[in-house]
Amino acid sequence: MLYRTAGQFKTSYKADQALFPVRQDAILLMIILAFAWVIFPLTASEFAFQTLLIPIMIYALAALGLNILTGYAGQLSLGTAAFMGVGAYACYKMVTLMPWMNPILAILLSGVFSAGVGVAFGIPSLRIKGFYLAIATLAAQFFLVWLFEKWAWLYNYNASGAIQVPNLEIFGLYVAGPQASSVTQYFVVLGIVTLLTLLCINLTRGNLGRTWKATRDMDIAAELIGINLMKSKLTAFAVSSYIVGVAGALFVFMWRGAAEPNLFDIPLSFRILFIAIIGGLGSILGNYLGAILIVGLPVVLGTVPAALGIPVSSAMIEHLNIMIVGSLIIFFLIIEPHGLARLWALIREKLILWPFPH
Amino acid sequence: MKHFSKLAIATVVAGITAGSAMAQELYTPNLSYRTGPFAATGIPLMNGQADYMAMLNARDGGIGGIKVNFEECETGYSTEKGAECYEKTKDRAIVTQPWSTGITLQVLPKTNIDEIPILAPGYGFSPMMDGKTFQWAFNTPAGYWDAADMIVQYLEGMESLEGKKIAFLHLDHPYGKEPIPLFEQMAEEKGFELVPIPVGLKEMQNQSAQWLQIRRERPDYVVMWGWGAMNAGAITEAVKTKFPMENMIGVWWASHDADLRIVGEDGKGYKAISWSFPNPDAPVMADLKTHVVDTGMTQSNPEEMSGVFYNRGLIISAILAEGIRVAQEHAGKPDISPSDLRWGLENIDMTPERISELGLDGMVPPFKTTCADHTGGSGGWMLEWDGAKFVQVSDHLVPNTEAYAALVSEKAKEYAEANAPWPVNETCEM
Repeated sequence: MLYRTAGQFKTSYKADQALFPVRQDAILLMIILAFAWVIFPLTASEFAFQTLLIPIMIYALAALGLNILTGYAGQLSLGTAAFMGVGAYACYKMVTLMPWMNPILAILLSGVFSAGVGVAFGIPSLRIKGFYLAIATLAAQFFLVWLFEKWAWLYNYNASGAIQVPNLEIFGLYVAGPQASSVTQYFVVLGIVTLLTLLCINLTRGNLGRTWKATRDMDIAAELIGINLMKSKLTAFAVSSYIVGVAGALFVFMWRGAAEPNLFDIPLSFRILFIAIIGGLGSILGNYLGAILIVGLPVVLGTVPAALGIPVSSAMIEHLNIMIVGSLIIFFLIIEPHGLARLWALIREKLILWPFPH
Repeated sequence: MKHFSKLAIATVVAGITAGSAMAQELYTPNLSYRTGPFAATGIPLMNGQADYMAMLNARDGGIGGIKVNFEECETGYSTEKGAECYEKTKDRAIVTQPWSTGITLQVLPKTNIDEIPILAPGYGFSPMMDGKTFQWAFNTPAGYWDAADMIVQYLEGMESLEGKKIAFLHLDHPYGKEPIPLFEQMAEEKGFELVPIPVGLKEMQNQSAQWLQIRRERPDYVVMWGWGAMNAGAITEAVKTKFPMENMIGVWWASHDADLRIVGEDGKGYKAISWSFPNPDAPVMADLKTHVVDTGMTQSNPEEMSGVFYNRGLIISAILAEGIRVAQEHAGKPDISPSDLRWGLENIDMTPERISELGLDGMVPPFKTTCADHTGGSGGWMLEWDGAKFVQVSDHLVPNTEAYAALVSEKAKEYAEANAPWPVNETCEM
């Protein structure tokens, strides 16, 4: 009833190839976009911006980048955090060397550097596969974090060894640094995330996406039908690292405000990998659902006891939180091993048939 | 509809009473870390802080007649959680206590905009001493550069450092790197050789490579800037490699009793500089026993309560309480705002008399803060492990702050420039 697709006839190729051919999907997306662009900015508190909205979007973007590589092209990577770090440090160097530069342009350009590094570390993928490739990307992870620590030029020889985001403005409005307001930062993040998501949806539907999927499903067969594996794998590394690099720049510039090298260490890589796996490999929507579960849920759970007036010590809340989130992850993986996106797809299929399943 | 409006009125009334009840307390959240990799060192500190405030609430009914709400927000030492806690508490908080260098780095620029004092006793950024630049940040009563200066002073008190070699074993992290500029400056002045030996966060528990280097370099002294698991790792490694313990000196965060208890007698002679010292005979300990321990409000235990870290927690809360009291007197009302508290923290005068009035005899050296000096320069004592506990082995050491005043203002200026526009205190004339 609610999701009936019967009677939605397509009369042109253009309509048939639309991003969201089912009308209800498009309406749902419009509602979500309306919330994101209008309702949240008007109603959200500073706390919600800083701990829910901005981090969820940035984490989702990083997971999206990883998903291009792992979910679409089938190349397992454990170096996501290091590539985020490349983006963050590149952005930091650009805005400190060229203070006149538009910060949003700097963020978008910083992805280019991490794309370059990503391609360099992606070259072994032409010869090695699976777990062996994961080890090669792990090497990238350790090497790059070591580099962030030792190459003092990267952090402008600060005594503390950390990078701190300066106050940056566009047309007199602060967009980064302590002077920037959360709403401004939210809109910058939202704009970039929307843009890159749209780009990814189109890329994965197109020629490039199809070569990636062919490479993922069976690389020998793909090679036999004339797909250039080198091109396919390296473009996946480049696009993935670009998005991850932009996410890294946003992570530090639009949210954290400061970063030390060990922030980009392996726990962050795993966190993003979990978001991608729990959300669903090979899906775009899954990254958002995964980020909401892994990043958003602990914050919400942490505020529940206080809101209900239950006196629990904060250390206890933290312990409970870890247990609850952990069991939820196991629960979701048991009921749907292919991730939250697949769960949503099943619900949607059921809804389309409802109330007359056959 | 009638029912609904009644309900609405009831809610509003309840909200207002709850709101006014909330206003009648001093909300001083603590970003604690009782979980995670650093919990072992965090718990005694957090217990000390919480117990002192609980004691004030029970004995005096709070400070100036209103209760202190010393709520903890758990961070697990994670920067991400720390920033979340800061956002959660900043609307009502009169002070923020960030507790990790990472969180301090992140929160410091925000407090300058939100105008909330940030209290980082004995940690945080040494140039915070410059109160004109860092008008909302306090690292009372002593900073890391004070510690470095005092350690060098102590060593010089025994013999000239000319031609000596000092290995600086430190955590490869903003915290560990902080004293390096000052040590370099002193090495040049006093003619000793400094060998910095970093310990990566991943190598904290296995420092065989670092100690191999120490054996090769044969330094006369090892100065250690460690935290968490690194301290226990270094101390056991020093014992294993038979490094003479009396030549190993730590900063105050490397003076956790539990780390030394692992090696016991073998750790004899290990030293650490400290601005706090446990004095079981101090009057405050008796008050704690009657009001907190005997009523079952503490989460601590007798062994922990005799340790350096628990007692440091007490002192940290005592400094905050003193700042609040001064602020209340100045503002003429008990219910103070964050900016009142800033004035209070800038005008703490811990004279020896005041220290005994508070019942803290022998637990903290006297110090005095001003709007230009947010550290107070308490100095400290050299503590030594006697095989079972830490004892004092030096007189009160006072850092020679003039020697690095130029470095403080240079680094403070650098920070302000990098973060421009950075509002500074222009009314302070000192």
